Amino acid sequence: MKGVFTYIQRDFIRWFRYRVGVVSTLVLPAAWLMFVGLALPVEFTGNYLDFITPGILVMTIQTAGISSGSLLMFDKMLGFLNKFLAMPVPRESILVSKILFITLRGILQSTIILVLVILIGATILNPLQYGLIYLILFLFGVFISAFSTTIALYLDDHDSFAAFTAMVTMPLFFTSSAPMPYDVMPDWLCAIAHVNPLSFAIDAIRDLGSGTIPFFSIGLLAVFSVIILCISGYVFRRITV
Amino acid sequence: MTAIQTEDLTKFFGDFCAVNGLNIEADKEIFGLLGPNGSGKTTTVLMLTTLLTQDRGTASICGYDTRKDPDKVRSSISYVPQDMAIDTNLTGRENMLFFAKLYGVSNPRDRVDELLEVMELSSRADDLAKTYSGGMRRRLELAEALVHEPEVIFLDEPTLGLDVAARKKIWEHIHALNRKGMTIFVTTHYMDEADRYCDRVGIINHGMIAVLGKPAELKSHLMKDVISVIVNGEYVPVDLEGVLFVGQSGDELSFTAENGREALPTLADALSRAGNSIRAMSLREPTLDDVFLQSVGKQEESTGFEEWKYRLMLRRR
Repeated sequence: MKGVFTYIQRDFIRWFRYRVGVVSTLVLPAAWLMFVGLALPVEFTGNYLDFITPGILVMTIQTAGISSGSLLMFDKMLGFLNKFLAMPVPRESILVSKILFITLRGILQSTIILVLVILIGATILNPLQYGLIYLILFLFGVFISAFSTTIALYLDDHDSFAAFTAMVTMPLFFTSSAPMPYDVMPDWLCAIAHVNPLSFAIDAIRDLGSGTIPFFSIGLLAVFSVIILCISGYVFRRITV
Repeated sequence: MTAIQTEDLTKFFGDFCAVNGLNIEADKEIFGLLGPNGSGKTTTVLMLTTLLTQDRGTASICGYDTRKDPDKVRSSISYVPQDMAIDTNLTGRENMLFFAKLYGVSNPRDRVDELLEVMELSSRADDLAKTYSGGMRRRLELAEALVHEPEVIFLDEPTLGLDVAARKKIWEHIHALNRKGMTIFVTTHYMDEADRYCDRVGIINHGMIAVLGKPAELKSHLMKDVISVIVNGEYVPVDLEGVLFVGQSGDELSFTAENGREALPTLADALSRAGNSIRAMSLREPTLDDVFLQSVGKQEESTGFEEWKYRLMLRRR
């Protein structure tokens, strides 16, 4: 779509200029990896690092995606959106570019995690497995960033949105299959974990690591992403009439 | 083909009629839309720039209907909102390049260089925009708006918050663009600027055009001289032949008369006799302010200060 690349380019330049932002997005997942992956005295499986890595990868995408929903809202509040909307560029490309930017930035961060875990002793996978991991992360990234962008557009207020972000980020992680396998969870947690969208992505990546290709999960993630994208497009169109 | 043409353009927000049956036309001129806050200026601009759909009537830009051909309209216009939306962490040049690429300009780098030169920003082009002064930021926005050589530019309060020198410069640039054949649609509430720089102005109040015409013509509808009087306390109306009451803004009253020098003492007499206590009187030529005052009426805040609402607001914090 015309304009998508230019919009993404703008967001990347802006992001790189905020050096603190760059450092923070890189340090945060590394810190999670350290504290949750290495320091916690748990032993569910043979190699806890291999077990926790999918969780950290997905969580990285999730944190990046949820908090960036405000990007489009701020463009709207600061008057940029009106300028963009008065241009002959297709309007949807503004929304698509934001979702792609957030997803790509999350994938950049998870690449750093992937490199880190290999350095500290995770099992090395084959290229196809890595390729599919990226596909899963991409689909999940689109899902979560479209979701948060829609919420932000709908709430239309950065205080409410910050409250929303704080409310969902941590519970989503701990009620997913990221920290522990289903069989050691209490029943109530197990039930929640099975419907948590984070778990779909995490389980899919775990399946990959154990050698199977999770066509079903990938398909499901794709369907979810498309549904959320449609809702997002609908809300976007409604605020821009 | 007329650059801007509206017919019965109307917009409701709920029950509130923000713009009511607007009929305006502008072509290759600087058209100023004037009016108090909340009179419908910005709503009008939003409809003309395809950002808002009207409830009734039509608007066309360069012959394209804003609802049927929005993309063609968007290709022929530029819109500079009053928010000063520029990326402060990007350099002036980067800001410009971004717009040039979005518009798909064929030779973006050269075009950007050329416009930075026109807007006198070349020497600071590679500094981050956050180091720019207010006037420079506005000029950068103007430059951005020009990358695709639009036929019509919409400027919403272009000089808001700028100092005198910066304002003058912005207006000079606007004037230069107009001389090249561009149609410029400006909203402002600085009457003196509209008077000096706009070819035609429309005064809008409660969503309706109250007066429309060249500033000089509008002023000539008033009589030759304006007498402004400052009174202490409430104004007690007087009726005097040959002297017309124009309006009141704050404690300042304006009257107009064919021969101000002669009318001045008679008016002073009449005012005192009616029981007004005069603090000061002066004689001047009519300005657009007087036209505005006469057409819009007594200037008040749209909603007065209501103490109970204020208290309620404090309590809610």
